[in-house]
Amino acid sequence: MSGRTRVLMSVIYWAFVVYLFVPLMLMVLMGFKDSKFIGFPIRGYTMEWYLGVFQSAEVINVFIYSMTIAIASTALSLVIGTWTALLLGPHRFFGRAVVFALTCLPAVIPGIISAISLRIYARLLEIEPGMLAIILGHTVHNVPFVALVVMARLSTLPKSQLEAARDLGADEAVTFLRITLPYLKPALIGASVFCLLLSFDDFVRSFFLGSYEPTMPVLIFAKLRSGMSPEINAIATVALVLTAVLGLWAERWNRRITP
Amino acid sequence: MTSSGDVVVHLDQITKRFGDVVAVDDLDMEIMAGEFVTFLGPSGCGKSTTLRIVGGFERPDAGRVIVAGEDVTAQPPNKRNVNMVFQDYALFPHMTVAGNIAFGLELKGKSRSEIDRRLVELLTLLELETLGKRTPDQLSGGQRQRVALARALAPDPQLLLLDEPLAALDAKLRAQVQLELKDIQRRTGKTFFFVTHDQDEALTMSDRIVVMNEGRVEQCGTPEELYHHPASRFVAEFIGETNLITGKVSAVDGEHITLDWQGATIHALSEQSPPIGQTVTAAIRPERIVLSAERQAKEGALQGQIVKRVFKGSRTVLDIDVGNGTVLRAVVTDGAFGQVDPKQVWLSWEPDRLTLLRD
Repeated sequence: MSGRTRVLMSVIYWAFVVYLFVPLMLMVLMGFKDSKFIGFPIRGYTMEWYLGVFQSAEVINVFIYSMTIAIASTALSLVIGTWTALLLGPHRFFGRAVVFALTCLPAVIPGIISAISLRIYARLLEIEPGMLAIILGHTVHNVPFVALVVMARLSTLPKSQLEAARDLGADEAVTFLRITLPYLKPALIGASVFCLLLSFDDFVRSFFLGSYEPTMPVLIFAKLRSGMSPEINAIATVALVLTAVLGLWAERWNRRITP
Repeated sequence: MTSSGDVVVHLDQITKRFGDVVAVDDLDMEIMAGEFVTFLGPSGCGKSTTLRIVGGFERPDAGRVIVAGEDVTAQPPNKRNVNMVFQDYALFPHMTVAGNIAFGLELKGKSRSEIDRRLVELLTLLELETLGKRTPDQLSGGQRQRVALARALAPDPQLLLLDEPLAALDAKLRAQVQLELKDIQRRTGKTFFFVTHDQDEALTMSDRIVVMNEGRVEQCGTPEELYHHPASRFVAEFIGETNLITGKVSAVDGEHITLDWQGATIHALSEQSPPIGQTVTAAIRPERIVLSAERQAKEGALQGQIVKRVFKGSRTVLDIDVGNGTVLRAVVTDGAFGQVDPKQVWLSWEPDRLTLLRD
């Protein structure tokens, strides 16, 4: 690559970065504005909105509600996803491609379609809209991501590791617990952070499957309808920081998946 | 416990197929307690499959595996009192050296104090004392190989299976580890079932070598027997360097066979007595050919000229054209041939150095 091309490409890249981050910067900035209305000019700054986020019982309750859903659906997704990955594993069997396609399907179905169908299905099963319905909905959506990440990791596990464990006296269950599971650890950590984020971030499924108690994105949406205010910016910024930290930390683990 | 002279493993007419390929073809073999047996052969000859059948990782299509008198054919690896050193060592990356070695002991339900005692014993035996707390990725290739060996020895198996454990080491280290491995085998008195495609490894370490080819045993014997008296052309060519001579039998007198080869008369010894007129192949090792300036009194000497000479330090390799474009290779260890005329040397050998081969 010649020097000029390099410079040009760098400039375009940095322009893109600016374009990407200006909205986020604006959002963070507006949260400090000492006024009820969003927009320039900013005449005074305040910490009030941010402090308000941590003092608001409503926001804290919604945060706990969202996290509970995220944790529960992640736990379920990990079990089912790992199970699926082990089933698909290294073996060849009749219909493997079909099982694989079925596994991936929930990840590629448009959110709104998935949400509506889940809502209908939940009613059919007489599951009340609310926490359980959202957890199950998120789990359906998350399982493919867990399965794919775990499968990728599993495919790099040398067969001799399992044979060595068997050779030294371990039955299949002990081999799974003491060899396979520790080997999958980085994949499972990466996948669970990803699932937590997906669940926490999800709006469509939470909106359709939820009752009157909102999750975080649903709360922000509801607040938006009653008018934009710096309070929303502050809530969104706190959520942004939390998810960014978690996401970047997970990326570190993800990189260890392919040795 | 088995004692020396007992049969540790009996492979009773084992056959294993993979699709259309017969990997192991009606193999029958006994391995004695305390023996270092090497299965030697090119890749795909069935040696590794045989090892995996004994370990329990493959089920034979026919035949039985009997370990210490017990039929274990249907038993999974974890029920067999047999341990394996894998080609890639298969050390558990998330456990320390000590954790790896203790793994098999823990699963046997040994107490902590017993495990610790055995750990010290093995770490000392394999000179790993200072490495117990390291993880496998902090070890060199040679150290990893020793940890794998210690881990396999830990549960005190009746038989140790070794699947080309030296293949990953560099040549210099390999030569050293061969001797160490043999030493450990002697000190522990364990029965070793070693698999390799490297004839040098096999010759250095084994009490007995089983040469396999296309799923069958070509020959089985001590390294000396195999080297000096190969039974077949395959064995003669696979182990060491050799000259092959194909001639017609002109006379048979007990063990003494006279061959007619390119107009020359050659003597060989053989227990088999082939009919006169039959074409047979015989093998002679390069270092068994004696060179001289004058024709020796013996019959069966050949005349030739040196066409190539390679100095290798302790020995010199000579290619000698004995007429009709036939080149025999000779190896000499002293400078005596320096006096001979390279255009006119005499080759001879003791009759018992020439071995008649089964084709």
